[in-house]
Amino acid sequence: MKPPESFDMTSPAQAALLPVSEPPAVRRHVRQLLRRHARLFGWLIALNSVAAVASVVGPQVLGGVVQRLQDGDTSSTFANRAALVFLAALLVQTVFTRFARLRGAVLGETILADLRESFLRRVVVLPPGVVERAGTGDLVTRTTTDVDRLSWAVRMAVPEITIAMGTAVFVLGALVLTAPALALSWLVAIPPIIVVMRWYFRRAPQAYRREMAGYARVNAEVAEAVDAGRTLEAYRLGPARVARTDATIKRWISWERYTMYLRTVFFPSVEIAYVMPLAAVLAMGGFLYTQGQVNLAQVTAAVLYTQMLIEPVDTMLMWYDELQVGQASLARLLGVNEVPDPDTDDHEPADAEIVARQVRFGYRDGRDVLHGVDMDVEPGERIAIVGPSGAGKSTLGRLLAGLHRPRSGSIEMGGVELGRLPTETVRRHVALVTQEHHVFVGTVRDNLLLAQPAATDTDLWSALAAVDATDWVSTLPAGLDSRVGTGGGRLSPAQAQQLALARLVLADPHTLVLDEATSLLDPRAARHLEQSLGAVLDGRTVIAIAHRLMTAHDAQRVIVVEDGRIAEAGSHDELVAAGGAYAALWRSWRDEG
Amino acid sequence: MPYVSLRDLPRSDPGRPDLRTPTRFLVWIGRMQLPALTLGVTWGVLWMGAAALIPGALGAGVQAIADGNETAVLRWSLVVLGLGVFQAGAGLLRHRAAVTNWISAASRVQQLIVRQAARLGGDLPRQVATGEVVAATANDVERIGSAFDVLARFAGAIVAFFGVAAILLTINAPLGTVVLVGVPVLSLSISPLVRPLERRERDQRVKLGLATELAADTVAGLRVLRGIGGEDLFLERYRLASAEVRLAAVRTAQVRSLLDALQVFLPGIFVVTVTWFGARLAIDGRLSIGALVAFYGYTAFMVLPLRTVTETAHKWTAARVAAQRVLSVLRLERTYAEDPESADHPEPEVGGLVDVRSGLAVTPGQLTAVVTDDPLTADTMADRLGRYSDGEVKLSGTRLSDLPIDVVRRRVLVQDKDPVILSGSASDLFEIPRTGRVGVLQALSWASANDVVEALPEGLATDLPERGRSLSGGQRQRLALARSLVADPDVLVLDEPTSAVDTHTEARIGLGLRQAREGRTTVVFTTSPLLLEHADIVAFVQSGTVVATGSHRDLMRSTPAYRATVVRGVG
Repeated sequence: MKPPESFDMTSPAQAALLPVSEPPAVRRHVRQLLRRHARLFGWLIALNSVAAVASVVGPQVLGGVVQRLQDGDTSSTFANRAALVFLAALLVQTVFTRFARLRGAVLGETILADLRESFLRRVVVLPPGVVERAGTGDLVTRTTTDVDRLSWAVRMAVPEITIAMGTAVFVLGALVLTAPALALSWLVAIPPIIVVMRWYFRRAPQAYRREMAGYARVNAEVAEAVDAGRTLEAYRLGPARVARTDATIKRWISWERYTMYLRTVFFPSVEIAYVMPLAAVLAMGGFLYTQGQVNLAQVTAAVLYTQMLIEPVDTMLMWYDELQVGQASLARLLGVNEVPDPDTDDHEPADAEIVARQVRFGYRDGRDVLHGVDMDVEPGERIAIVGPSGAGKSTLGRLLAGLHRPRSGSIEMGGVELGRLPTETVRRHVALVTQEHHVFVGTVRDNLLLAQPAATDTDLWSALAAVDATDWVSTLPAGLDSRVGTGGGRLSPAQAQQLALARLVLADPHTLVLDEATSLLDPRAARHLEQSLGAVLDGRTVIAIAHRLMTAHDAQRVIVVEDGRIAEAGSHDELVAAGGAYAALWRSWRDEG
Repeated sequence: MPYVSLRDLPRSDPGRPDLRTPTRFLVWIGRMQLPALTLGVTWGVLWMGAAALIPGALGAGVQAIADGNETAVLRWSLVVLGLGVFQAGAGLLRHRAAVTNWISAASRVQQLIVRQAARLGGDLPRQVATGEVVAATANDVERIGSAFDVLARFAGAIVAFFGVAAILLTINAPLGTVVLVGVPVLSLSISPLVRPLERRERDQRVKLGLATELAADTVAGLRVLRGIGGEDLFLERYRLASAEVRLAAVRTAQVRSLLDALQVFLPGIFVVTVTWFGARLAIDGRLSIGALVAFYGYTAFMVLPLRTVTETAHKWTAARVAAQRVLSVLRLERTYAEDPESADHPEPEVGGLVDVRSGLAVTPGQLTAVVTDDPLTADTMADRLGRYSDGEVKLSGTRLSDLPIDVVRRRVLVQDKDPVILSGSASDLFEIPRTGRVGVLQALSWASANDVVEALPEGLATDLPERGRSLSGGQRQRLALARSLVADPDVLVLDEPTSAVDTHTEARIGLGLRQAREGRTTVVFTTSPLLLEHADIVAFVQSGTVVATGSHRDLMRSTPAYRATVVRGVG
């Protein structure tokens, strides 16, 4: 059976943006972990070994009993003694199993906590340019899915496999010690298991990931059908959506069928391979017994050991895949360590003056968005950047906020190259607020304090007043302590924008770049907010990218960007008087044309 | 009812479920796939039956060795091999039937949910949170599927338990009784631990969920953090949450490791007892060597069916809870009444639209703009005009509530304030029921959305993510407008279609809209002069009522309140 048509799981563009560690790097990291916790690992191995040794006593005891019976021993003392030995071994196995499992879990959890915390520690200091380019989607997936998968592997797969491996070694050892000749019978099982294992594990991991991706896709489509219910209804897409989801279900099931085919080959093959040595031990044991080469105790113990060995071998095979999944996730978590840190230059800017010269920049090679922009911004100036969509306004804003470096040309603030300053320095001087807003899970206070951890409640309220947010925050059930963000009170996009601007007021850098920062507010409310914000930001440099002409009207200087170049620049009145594109637009807007 | 294999899934029609109670719902699902269930149960019984016979065969083999009977030894080895091969085959068929049952049940529930979503449309997200429905599809579907998966093994377990019981009692009644009574009793004796374990596991899951949410949230807001600061604050929050998870996990491990140890000890103590008791019986000559070995094997085996019974009980309890949640979605109805006789109502001619409450009268074939003093009024009026809420609205004199909802949706298209860009390729956006008079490229140019498509790496063939998240708000609005123009309905109602579009583009859209809807009925809610100046007529609504109508310029001159609303704050 051929694998069905694949689901594209991550867009290739995104996959290429953040690195994934190579297997040697992952192995190196795992070795480091082992070394760091060498003592605990040693204890674990010792505890598990004792438990495994105790577990092989049972068959030995039963073999002895059978032998005595065969020899016609009729005193009952040997039965009592056998039972006592068996019981003692069982108690040892029980106690050591308990502590081995508990120690194992404690160690596993320590390592997990360490891994996830150091991952996030690295993520929060990633260069903003990298975050901007890669988007947060891939990082969120690593934070959630990969951390989950790794936890599952460390919690379940790693202990199951290592314990099974230990048990298998000791049971096999016991079998060899009891009856070396009979232990050879396992040789019939090994070649078929290896062949079918190689076949299966070459196909299975990817097939299961595809299958899971298919299932996730079905869920995503159902979720979208609910979320976009109004749109589906308005455009009469209900029947089409039903047909599309049915088709997705079919594709998902085609992967389920494929993995079932893999198991159809795998399961019976290994199960038959397990039972072959069992039959072989019995037949060979019978033969060797009549030859007088082994006694009944050995045969009985060997039969029971052979049966005992099936479970750990099966466990190893069943968990092997999960271990691989965990390893892949670990590679993705470690990958963020390989993001190179940009070379920086930590000179304090002398003042707030911004000078941009012949700035060219593009996100992709050979496709520049900005084609030679020259611009001077005086400290305290209010500038509006206007222009059609796709002209490069937002890109210019990001460069002015130090997020990217120009491909050629330069942007300097106070005599220092802005793009080379460390993030922590840049943001003391300049801050960017875009229309992409984010409300953090937590209280309103948490959401504001991140900009200024030392702020008092009075500071917070006056920042909220500056963005016209006093009214709705004070009507929240617990005021500043109301929980917002996912799972808390839902804020409207407009309220989220107000919070973002309030943070900016608290952070209080001398230069602000506002990229459509009030676009989600009702036009009339936006206008009011801009005016009250303007009063608070007196003396600060404000560069506002706006699609509303009112913002331009209020600015000291208007810069019109078209096709990655500055087309017109000057005060509102100058531009209107000049009679260019801006003037035409303004007139039609003001209805004076 | 024929057997349905995976190849034939999903069905074209998931059927009409029994929604009265969760149990009835589950029974209904079971009845719908009875042949597959029967098959699974049959193979489950044969599979576990074969497994149950192996210890007996091994015991007989050891006995044959003890007796020095070589042919019998060979025979019993072959029996072990045969049973093993049969068990493998039956196990596989049991597994295949179980997976078929799982998917059969799960896909049926998925289909029911998506059909419900399609039937209720915008009324579903209004009544339940999207998250609830997502949980229903992701987790509950899986739980319901698992309940049908486990049935085959459950049947096998029951048969195996009583089968082995019969064998043991036949070999030796007292010893058999000890095993039969003892194993279930000891298995149940771990149940006091199960509840605390589940409680701690739940606690661990909750804490893990919180930590994950915190981390995901921090990463999602990384741009803000990197731009303004606060990384340390958030790292500290996460470190605390992560430490909580570690503690909760260790607490779970304390109980779990105890349970693991007991699962070694309890079956073990039985094997010890049976070995001891069996050995004494054998000394007295009341039990053969082979039977002793068989008893040893059976005692270990009995743990398996008992574990399956417990698992079944757990899965069915979970499935009932899951079914309850699924039902809460499937039971929802529309929030507004649909007239059962509406289907017989003759379809109205192409004509005007009248909203009785506000007094808005839309002339057919004209571009009508509506300016409201409050944005909320615009939304409620748009909803009324499209019969998304109750209200007296007439289309060519016929009340919308007298018409079948399908007819209303076909005649009047309301593009709400937040139209969703559906995932799929950009050209998929235009795969909608349409008149065919307006081509996609034409519509894109009228909506000034050409450059949006041109900027996509593969043009119209580019895949867009959910809600078009890779696009800016203005780009999304223009694509949505193009989609509405392609649909080309008799009456098109647009609620703030250009609120996120820059002024240059908005001016072009105003012109495009006018050309696109030439001779068609269009209503646009807006306060933008750039759109208003293209309208044939503008209605000004104050406190929910039309107070003035006229051209944009007339109203600018004649109605100060209008002027103030449109260019509030200009001067």
